[in-house]
Amino acid sequence: MPPDTPEPAGASRVAIELIDIRKAFGASDDQTTYAVDRMNLKIRAGEFFTFLGPSGCGKTTTLRMIAGFEEPTSGRLLLDGKEVTGVPAHQRNVNTVFQSYALFPHLNVGENVGFGLSVKGVAKEEIRQRVKAALESVHMAHAIVRKPSALSGGQQQRVALARALVNRPSVLLLDEPFGALDLKLRREMQMEVKEMQRRLGITFIFVTHDQEEALTMSDRIAVMSNGVIQQVGGPVEIYEQPANRFTAGFIGDMNLVEARVTGRSGDRLALDAAGSRFDLQSDLALQPGDRCTLAIRPEALHFVDGDAGPPIRFSGTLSEAVYIGTDTVYGLALADDSRLQARVRNSRDRSIPQTGEPGVVACAPSAIRILTQ
Amino acid sequence: MTAPRRGNLVTLALLAPSLLSAILLLAIPILIVIAFSFAEQDTYGGAKFGFTLTSYRELFQAIYLPIFLNSLQLAVVSTVICLLVGYPIAYFIALRAGRYAGLLLALLLIPFWIDFIVRMSAWMVLLGRNGTINSALVGLGVIEQPIRMIGTYPAVLVGMLYAFLPTTVLPIYAALSGLDGRLLEAADDLGATPLQSFWRITFPLSLPGVMAAILFVFVPAMGVYAIPVLLGGGKSIILGNLIVQLFLDFRNIPLGAAVSVVLLAISSVIIVCYMRVLRSVEEARV
Repeated sequence: MPPDTPEPAGASRVAIELIDIRKAFGASDDQTTYAVDRMNLKIRAGEFFTFLGPSGCGKTTTLRMIAGFEEPTSGRLLLDGKEVTGVPAHQRNVNTVFQSYALFPHLNVGENVGFGLSVKGVAKEEIRQRVKAALESVHMAHAIVRKPSALSGGQQQRVALARALVNRPSVLLLDEPFGALDLKLRREMQMEVKEMQRRLGITFIFVTHDQEEALTMSDRIAVMSNGVIQQVGGPVEIYEQPANRFTAGFIGDMNLVEARVTGRSGDRLALDAAGSRFDLQSDLALQPGDRCTLAIRPEALHFVDGDAGPPIRFSGTLSEAVYIGTDTVYGLALADDSRLQARVRNSRDRSIPQTGEPGVVACAPSAIRILTQ
Repeated sequence: MTAPRRGNLVTLALLAPSLLSAILLLAIPILIVIAFSFAEQDTYGGAKFGFTLTSYRELFQAIYLPIFLNSLQLAVVSTVICLLVGYPIAYFIALRAGRYAGLLLALLLIPFWIDFIVRMSAWMVLLGRNGTINSALVGLGVIEQPIRMIGTYPAVLVGMLYAFLPTTVLPIYAALSGLDGRLLEAADDLGATPLQSFWRITFPLSLPGVMAAILFVFVPAMGVYAIPVLLGGGKSIILGNLIVQLFLDFRNIPLGAAVSVVLLAISSVIIVCYMRVLRSVEEARV
């Protein structure tokens, strides 16, 4: 799936292009493992692009190769159309906001932010003005003479952001920058960073394992697993049209039900899933006897009583009910021992069975996505 | 007996051996030396206890000034050389040697399990007129006549470097190995060349180690005795051999004791200043 991901509409400039990038780790002769394997990707200028995946999926390695801290084992990396493979980090026009912030402990906030300008020999007066402006943009101008150790985690985060942005990079890399912040502060910073990216128009490349963070902030997301991009797309596309089992299972809560094709007539497939038989419209090249996986969001399932309601039904025994505020999540044990989750808005409607009783859930055909890989 | 008091007694009992040896082997000898420095010299080379400033008055005469300056100069030059040689070694071991770091540190330290005088004798053999280095150079045809090395100032400096290298390398190594590699990545990311990263990040962050190294070299170098005598032939008089001469040759025990006391005072002042500076460096970092 990955290589030929269609470019989104709007033929804007490509900021970064990765061509067949591979990064090997563990130099064992018989079997090389790849932290990143055959990655092909174009990131547009001005885009908020996110690498999303569990730890160890290769997202940070990809970021570090773009920054120049690590060189790809093979493949090419283009920055603003120019090949930068082999160019050291300090000669690339990208800046990084580190997960650990990596503020220089012996320098004060102002000196930290001015570091990049100072090593490039920018005039003192200009440094002073740009540092001040950068710190004002992250609301940290008051702390200019303080040492990083005297700041809270959130404040250090802002300073790290200012230190990177003051250099006016063409691309800003952010490596799980909010990982160490508490939930409330993280939300706040997410909004602020997103707003800042819109205002500055700089390409932001963001790495996170937090899907909610990725969905709220990104223009496009690359879902990664085992060094390979599983799917690239906008948040809505990633959430509503997962391309494979990994993306479906990783983004949001998802029921994955194994199904067997029992017949085909035109574009309609007859399916047997956990004891339920029904028809679905599909243009996938599946033949009777093939296996596939049905992805259904828990919130798409409703309890039904009688024949009224959506046509696709699963019956089983209600095994648990977990109250989570606005909703309750019900677990339904199906005939083949698999389980379904249904997330239902709490209401006065008491048509829902009690735990231990048989129950039937149903959903619309459009709520089911058929996955073959 | 109440619990805290019993705790105090146990603490005291456990501390007793080290406390006793510190008193017997350190405090009392120093007090004896101080007492001697205020004593009077008797006719037969002994000392009569009393309280006189004769020795100190003699010490502050102009002829002793060059000796202090000699010692100071040797200590400063030795410290500078040790830092110039030791810093790159510490840097290499801490940041570049990878898994060989432990091995290199061991190689640096193992010679110091051998007795100091034995090692200095080895240097005498190496540097002697018919010693290993001269024989090799003559044999290779680099020089025609052996070079005189023993008894020269450079030979003393070589000995000082050899003696104090580990005490230079270790504290700097400790400071550098604690350096967060991500800071260097950040500097690289912000456009600093490797040289700029070194002078703006690595070096300032290793300063506490450098200062400890200075202390560990400078203070003992002020009172050094064996190296200048064995490798330098004891030609220029410094505090170390002045003290020996005053005690053994001139039998002027009070004056010798006074020189020792002054040396102790100078070292103490340096240590106190060092502590002050170190504290301010550490406070500046917070």
